[in-house]
Amino acid sequence: MDWTPLILSAKLAFWTMLLIPVVASPLASLLAFGRFRGKSLLDAVITLPMVMPPTVLGFALLVVMGPRGFMGGLWEDLTGNRLVFSFAGILMASLVFNLPFAVQPLRASLEKLDPRLLESAAVLGLSPLSAFFRIVLPNCLGGLAAASILVFAHSLGEFGVILMVGGSIPGQTQVASVAIFEAVEALRFDDAFRMSAALIPVCFVVLLIINKINARRS
Amino acid sequence: MMLDVAMTKRLKHFDLDLAFSCAPGELTAVIGPSGAGKTTLVRLLAGLEKPDSGKIAFGEEVWADAEQRVFLPARKRGLSLVFQDYTLFPHLTIRKNVAFAASDEDRVDELMSMFGISHLASCRPSAISGGERQRAAFCQALARNPVLLLLDEPFSALDVANRRNLRSCLKELKSELNIPILHVTHDLDEALFLGDTVMAVESGRIAPDWLKEQQAIQRHLAVSGLSRAGVGTSVHTSEPTAEEPALLGCG
Amino acid sequence: MKRICSLVLALCLLVPSGASAADLLIAQAANFTPVMKEIIPAFEKATGLTAQATYASTGKLYGQIVNDAPFDIFLAADEKRPNKLHADGLAEKPFIYAMGQVVLWSADKGFCGEDWKATVLSPAVKRVAVANTETAPYGTSAMKAMQKVGVWDKVQPKLVFGQSISQTFQFASTGSADVGFCAYSSVFTDEGRKGCFVVVDQAPPVIQAACVLKSASHPDAAAKFVEFLSSPEVQAMKLKYGYK
Repeated sequence: MDWTPLILSAKLAFWTMLLIPVVASPLASLLAFGRFRGKSLLDAVITLPMVMPPTVLGFALLVVMGPRGFMGGLWEDLTGNRLVFSFAGILMASLVFNLPFAVQPLRASLEKLDPRLLESAAVLGLSPLSAFFRIVLPNCLGGLAAASILVFAHSLGEFGVILMVGGSIPGQTQVASVAIFEAVEALRFDDAFRMSAALIPVCFVVLLIINKINARRS
Repeated sequence: MMLDVAMTKRLKHFDLDLAFSCAPGELTAVIGPSGAGKTTLVRLLAGLEKPDSGKIAFGEEVWADAEQRVFLPARKRGLSLVFQDYTLFPHLTIRKNVAFAASDEDRVDELMSMFGISHLASCRPSAISGGERQRAAFCQALARNPVLLLLDEPFSALDVANRRNLRSCLKELKSELNIPILHVTHDLDEALFLGDTVMAVESGRIAPDWLKEQQAIQRHLAVSGLSRAGVGTSVHTSEPTAEEPALLGCG
Repeated sequence: MKRICSLVLALCLLVPSGASAADLLIAQAANFTPVMKEIIPAFEKATGLTAQATYASTGKLYGQIVNDAPFDIFLAADEKRPNKLHADGLAEKPFIYAMGQVVLWSADKGFCGEDWKATVLSPAVKRVAVANTETAPYGTSAMKAMQKVGVWDKVQPKLVFGQSISQTFQFASTGSADVGFCAYSSVFTDEGRKGCFVVVDQAPPVIQAACVLKSASHPDAAAKFVEFLSSPEVQAMKLKYGYK
């Protein structure tokens, strides 16, 4: 059996899990602590990938990440490489797709924080940024962990979006879900079965870990 | 340095309209019915809220000036604030909490020893009692050598023993610290015991009549034998106790 | 409010749905959609029968058919699937209903030189889209063409694979792929007209076969449709959309 798609899926899930807190934390903080007009608009925009059909989202990303799109154009200017059809491209799509799944639990975790902790930190002389790293983050590690693991599991199964912007290049963007789909299409049911059989235990273990973390927190 | 306040703030049912000063080494007790605006006053002085009009100044520094659009945020004022509910950082040990904004490690040890919590240095806030937490909160507030100390009903959630103990501690520290202290309380006893000045606030305004009323009630209760007069600047009540509780550490 | 909702629901259920009323159910491979959309009204006019088509990828339709989907006739994008149905006893003998042609299409007018071989090898072309060579007949045909002229190995690092010929076209039309091996029929679409193309002569014609299903509930209607498909009227429609 060809392990490349599975390894690629794991790689994508792993990097998404690592990077999503970086992207999700400031957004979750803004939503949890910020008081500004347009907050509900921001919330809706972040949640959008959750409700859009993956193919619609995928197409939108294809246009934005393509050489003519603002994201793709910028990437090409900076690196000289095309963003779409690359691992970086599917990683970025994965981050967008997973954002609401990380922002929501993180925001809930932050909102549970006693606001007086932040006031205390401010009175004691911390800048908002320092307060974020020294007070906020350490107190919502549980929420962060849960969000990260959830995102990992979610990324393993991603299909529609990756299909749209990946180009199914073996070794670069042909993740397991796409490879399984193609195997089924090509009537190679044995291959499809083998890859699926390898993925399921991984997802199972990840879910067990999530449950353990959530149980420990409550 | 002198704290000078003359400002207003629109609240839900009335406007907060106060003007007063507090000198270094002086403790101003702020007393009044709930909802009078006392906590808002503390928050305004701390820099957690902005006044609608008027000025808050500390010595030469203008902390807030509504007309000039000047506002110094909380973190730049160098003061300390102790809430009613000890907001120690749950993820840090007691020692790390106390030392949080302090620059002098020795001062940290000194304070912890003074308040009798040195033995709790490596505990987490969740593992110690309410009284111990409040002591730690005090240490944290004092460890940074604040220029002003704001206390918002700091003893309300404590039991009688701890309350009396910390009150005495505070009275002793007053002259040592030599900074203005603003102490909000709903306990007239406490206000009269600790305050060099007692300021009654009712519906957002200084209400000396309210204070006189309360004192009259106290005297009446004392005369009718319902309570025992205690130590202080004038007649007031204190909780009836069989014996003085053992003072822990401080005092 | 509740009563109004249940009333509306009852009315919806009572209104006869078009699906069950059609005289003929067609399973059509998606790439032939625009042509079929013209064929059906013409067929209905000529015979007085009604027809309803479902458009999806050949693979999906095949999957549905082997799971007893109630189609009468299956028009695929390849020969493989109809042949398999016939071999498994699920369909009558397949027949060719259309032939497609692979072209190299680009949204960039500069990439449509006569020599498509040079275009795909050019360093200015960073990404070349092609349909999945295993499952999409246009992909297989394009691959054969590239192998024939000896560029297959060199072009490998540039290739991106679309799941279907329409996705391949999508890659090319959004500019994500500089050029794409697309179906000639896509040239006649609105998007297709915005770009340019060159015919890939070396690509074997994509033979699209059809078969009447043995489980058809309307075999007579199906037979009439098969006959209609070979009419000059349909021939003209096919040519209009780039099929032979």
